[in-house]
Amino acid sequence: MSDVPLSATVKSFLRHETILAILLVVVLAILSQQSDKFFTTANLLNQGRLMTEVGLIALPMTFVIITGGIDLSVGSILGLCAILMGVFWHNLGLPLPVAMVLAVLVGGVGGLVNGLIITRFKVPPLIATLATLALYRGLAEGISQARSVRGYPDWFYVLGQGDFLGIPTQLWIFVIFAIIAAFILGFTTFGRATYAAGANETAARFSGINVDRTKLLIYTAAGLVSGIAAVIFVSRVSTTRSDMGTGVELDVITAVVLGGTSIFGGRGTIIGTVVGLVLVQALKNGLSLSGVKGDGTIVVIGLVLILAILASNLFSRNGDG
Amino acid sequence: MKKSLLLAACFGLASSTAFAASAWTGGDELPTNPLACDATPGTVSAKPYDGGVPTNAPDRNGKKITVVDIPKLIGVGYFAATTKGIQEAAKELGNVDAKTDGPTKANIDEQITFIDNYVTSGVDGILFAANDPVAIAPVLKKALAAGINVVGYDANATPDARQWFVNQAEFNGIAKSLVDALAKEAGEDAGFAIVTSTFTTPNQARWINEMSAYAAKCHPNMKWLETVEAQEDNVLSFNQSATLINKYGDQLKGIFGMTSVATPAAAEAVTQAGQCGKIAIVGLATPNAMKPYVEKDCVKSVVLWNPVDLGYAAMQVLRATADGTLKAGDASVKAGKLGELKVVNGSEILLGAPFIFDKSNIAQFDF
Repeated sequence: MSDVPLSATVKSFLRHETILAILLVVVLAILSQQSDKFFTTANLLNQGRLMTEVGLIALPMTFVIITGGIDLSVGSILGLCAILMGVFWHNLGLPLPVAMVLAVLVGGVGGLVNGLIITRFKVPPLIATLATLALYRGLAEGISQARSVRGYPDWFYVLGQGDFLGIPTQLWIFVIFAIIAAFILGFTTFGRATYAAGANETAARFSGINVDRTKLLIYTAAGLVSGIAAVIFVSRVSTTRSDMGTGVELDVITAVVLGGTSIFGGRGTIIGTVVGLVLVQALKNGLSLSGVKGDGTIVVIGLVLILAILASNLFSRNGDG
Repeated sequence: MKKSLLLAACFGLASSTAFAASAWTGGDELPTNPLACDATPGTVSAKPYDGGVPTNAPDRNGKKITVVDIPKLIGVGYFAATTKGIQEAAKELGNVDAKTDGPTKANIDEQITFIDNYVTSGVDGILFAANDPVAIAPVLKKALAAGINVVGYDANATPDARQWFVNQAEFNGIAKSLVDALAKEAGEDAGFAIVTSTFTTPNQARWINEMSAYAAKCHPNMKWLETVEAQEDNVLSFNQSATLINKYGDQLKGIFGMTSVATPAAAEAVTQAGQCGKIAIVGLATPNAMKPYVEKDCVKSVVLWNPVDLGYAAMQVLRATADGTLKAGDASVKAGKLGELKVVNGSEILLGAPFIFDKSNIAQFDF
């Protein structure tokens, strides 16, 4: 096949996202053969519920990684926001809606601090957010003294456990956010600035793009969305704990990278991230339903991640050559 | 100017974590019930059944059932031991197909997802050890609503989210055993530290809470120096213990290990620091991990129940529940080789008093 030059149309067809989508269809087909419980509406909607928090954070993370950065602190921001919402409501006696908004704003501030450290002090994102990962988690534990806040009013659980028009509430939120994110990244000057900053930062600066402002906004958005995910998480599990969201950053990064966003920056799409997210969740759920144990599932996800990236590298090299 | 302001803000944020290092005495605000200072047994309050009921459960009496066991995490010795007990009971019963599956980290969210998937795939019974009693409740209620029999062991959920909970030993009993042992070994005015898993782990939080209440009542001169977190991680537990030894020097007369990982790691840290005999180690641990330290006289007593029996009892209780031989309001349940186990506190089944391993008996146990 290598002696036949790939035409431009075939090349664009064999984008990473397309390969991934084909892989997803194959995986779904196999998994629905393995268990009759997998391809049921109830199960699929339930999976949508379970993947929302990771999915929400994966949207701004796509932007972060496209700029060539990384944000390891999102799980810790989630934990901190969850704890603060409990503290604002339970300890300070604020009305719950106010506490929710404040908690999300704290998430934004957490993201802003990340952005400032990265842009003003020129600290590499990996190191800056590694530091704030520890800092925010420590704050969450210190503030909460490991005391859980429980007993939220019933209306609050609608967010994490209820549904709207038969579809889990949080899935609506995720779909709306995904559409907004895809629009911003694909059709606005801000989206183009994001790609430019990741593809060649120096060139972007010379062409008049305010790279620092772009990055600052992106990291702040990552914090804000982590705060929103925190509120949904608390509503879903009906309690706050300071260790909430531990390790979420890895699930988020897995979805984004599997979705074809280049860790070197400059390349990636929201649709890719969403397909990556759905693929990981389908594998976790489908393998479990067909009797594969938890440790086996992790191995399969690791293999799929490597295969997907190998396949897309292979095709893009053929295409370039 | 801007930079220095920002730096100041960062330091302000960081310094607010400092108050996390106080002598922490338990994360839950539940009431404590310290036992008497002498050997008077605690009173067990009679309460009506307060567990949950599965909806439209099919008749499973004597029929073959499939059971999944979802512990806090897999891959640690303690839950390998409970799994062994579950398998023993399943084999003995002959009409149970049991398997253990779960997350590799003690993480609330992953455990919930595992249970959720097994509810969807359709099992007859679920055994669980909760990472958080409240967070796990919605998914367990979903299992009950699907007609699945739900029994907990090791770490409880809110009572209405499961049918029964097999309690290995009462919290105040464990607390008394631990605190009394340390007071005896290190003296009534000993300064001590605690190495726990995380502040949010419900069992550990409950024990520490009860320990603080019991110490205040019966050993008021003991000094609580610090409680540190070490997950359920060997290396971290060792490092935390070594740090405590360096930090407090002669002030530190004892260390409590609250997990089966922390206790041997603390014993190793004391051994390597050459402090054997000067710093007492008292804690919860499995005998195999502690044998070397007990034989060298570095550790005098190890407190635990038999986790193999705990898993065995949990499986027997689940079978009895599925068969309908254990019903709301019963005062005891037959649990195979363990004989009759008592129902306490509404819907809990008590395995027995905590067991103390020492040089005289530890060699007889292998788990």
